[in-house]
Amino acid sequence: MIFPSLKIYLLKTFYFIAIIFCVNLIYSAEGGPCKDYGECDEFKYSLNDIESLQRGASTYINYCYGCHSLQYSRWGRVANDLQIPEEIFFENLVFDKSIKPGDLMTGAMPVDSVNWFGVTPPDLTLVSRYKGDDWIYSYLRAYYEDSSKQYGVNNLVYPGTAMPNVLLSLQGNQRLVCKDIPILAKNGGEKRDQSGNSVTEEKCGFLEVEEGTGKLNKEEFDALIYDLTNFLVYVGEPIKATRERIGWYVVFYFMIFTALASLLYREYHKDYK
Amino acid sequence: MFGIFSKVFYWVNDRLPIVNTFERHLSKHPVPSKVNFWYLFGALAAVTLIIQIVTGIWLIMPYSNTEEQAFSSVEYIMRDVDYGWVIRYMHTTGASLFFAVVYLHMFRGLLYGSYQKPKELVWIFGCTIYLAMMAEGFLGYVLPYGQMSYWGAQVIISLFGSIPYIGESLELWVRGDYYISGITVSRFFALHVVALPLILIALVFLHLVALHEVGAGNPEGVDIEEHLDDDGIPLDSVPFFPYKVLNAMVAIGVFGVVFSIIMFFFPEGGGYFIEMANFEKANPLVTPDHIAPVWYYAPFYTMLRAIPDPFGGLIVMASAVAIFFIVPWLDRSKVASIRYKGIYSKIAITLFGVSFLTLGYLGTVGITEVRKTMSVICTVIYFAYFLLMPIYTKYEKTKEVPDRL
Repeated sequence: MIFPSLKIYLLKTFYFIAIIFCVNLIYSAEGGPCKDYGECDEFKYSLNDIESLQRGASTYINYCYGCHSLQYSRWGRVANDLQIPEEIFFENLVFDKSIKPGDLMTGAMPVDSVNWFGVTPPDLTLVSRYKGDDWIYSYLRAYYEDSSKQYGVNNLVYPGTAMPNVLLSLQGNQRLVCKDIPILAKNGGEKRDQSGNSVTEEKCGFLEVEEGTGKLNKEEFDALIYDLTNFLVYVGEPIKATRERIGWYVVFYFMIFTALASLLYREYHKDYK
Repeated sequence: MFGIFSKVFYWVNDRLPIVNTFERHLSKHPVPSKVNFWYLFGALAAVTLIIQIVTGIWLIMPYSNTEEQAFSSVEYIMRDVDYGWVIRYMHTTGASLFFAVVYLHMFRGLLYGSYQKPKELVWIFGCTIYLAMMAEGFLGYVLPYGQMSYWGAQVIISLFGSIPYIGESLELWVRGDYYISGITVSRFFALHVVALPLILIALVFLHLVALHEVGAGNPEGVDIEEHLDDDGIPLDSVPFFPYKVLNAMVAIGVFGVVFSIIMFFFPEGGGYFIEMANFEKANPLVTPDHIAPVWYYAPFYTMLRAIPDPFGGLIVMASAVAIFFIVPWLDRSKVASIRYKGIYSKIAITLFGVSFLTLGYLGTVGITEVRKTMSVICTVIYFAYFLLMPIYTKYEKTKEVPDRL
């Protein structure tokens, strides 16, 4: 009797080792999409926060829409989804008075804009879907002063980006600085020298805003970018909030369906047991 | 009132075998009374095929198969068409789950020897369905004309170019142009919505006709035809309708839960069902950072990459699919089911499963040296499973198969 069970035991151990072996061998961390910035900051969208979306839309139209179209999205749909009455929306956010609610947001850039930046500013309707919301949220906050570049700025998330920091006046002048960072000892605490002072080393690549240069402080600016990113998530897939709401009903329906089907199945199979 | 209905019914039935067909293939069709969950994926594959056909028809209506409008018409479906997003996500989720259930269905076949005599033809029709599905999936993936559509098609079509002598002209013939263009998109559209679906439906019909001729298998590998009752019906069987239909209904319910969770909450499947780069319009001037296929082609893509020579890679990739066709003649075992096969078969199928999954993972990530070596090892294991089958199935010690289910 001992042999079959031993065999099964050995077989199971073998399966287990084979799987662990493969997983370990091939897994390796890859460079993230946020490049020099390191890990992208995590972004959690809240599409039911209509006010945030409204603020984001306003920021987008005032600061971004001049260059970046939203060519798959329609004006009226945005007004409607963001619960902004059409008259107010068109009076305050639509600058070209010939535009109708059913028109696509095709942008305000002339065709020769490629000569201004070296590239045509891309359409951003789907940017949240091909770059990801984490990426946008990190990118817009990772500009720093770099006099070697055409517009005097560079970006940690997208080194060599062609876009100037449009939000500079709000954010203020952000620079890359070096800081003295306490070295951690093996026990997890700070490493200290004999006189009890913590031992530090200089590390570079930290973003720091020069105080008083921007209209917003750090929290306010982060909140502004949050709303803007949230809006881009919305515009990437306007149905997303509805989709996630309807989803619960459909899942619930199939659960009930499964329950009823299995009751019926059991009823019929009584004949055969 | 009902008198008229029954009169009409009998009138039709005298001219069309309704009752006969219903009894022969459903209410009196005997199927093994004891099977496990592995036997449900066939029904689920049929359900997904129907989903794909129905949603496909509705997608054709607003889709535009031109180079300029293909991408934007998909966004039009997602935004402006009422419930267009439901139809489109059902189609994309359906495609991935179609492959998922078909892979499980095929693995069931390998586990329980569903290809053994007399089921060889059922198996071969099944393999052909899989081949047609691969073509269908590839053609469909090009239609939204995103970055991954374009560059994926570029990689696959250039494979034809690696064939000696006829390669270049063949490549041109497939593409219909010197580079992938609107011409390629519109011919892929025609193949995707007319040619291959017709072939698929015909093959599924043949798969089922052949199956009903030889009878369904069971996880014990017992031949239920050997013990019949007085009416000539197998003792270990139940009628397909309503017993197996109800069984399938439960499976469909569970499948519906999984399907709707993916479709409503994770339609991109973390970039595996709809790749992120495909939300960017095709751009012939910019190559994406890394070109990865959708998950269901990933194992074969890894094999392609593991071989340094493109033509060699093509041969290996094609043989990896082709080898399924000869499985009925590779298995020399006296028993059908893995339950009664010996230890070598068990180890072989485990290694095969692990290597297939590993190949799949490797196809979706970038290449490193270790991964390249791993791809080669897994490819060798994959082929060894098939090529050594005649040896390990013939010489291993099998267990006694019971008489009854």
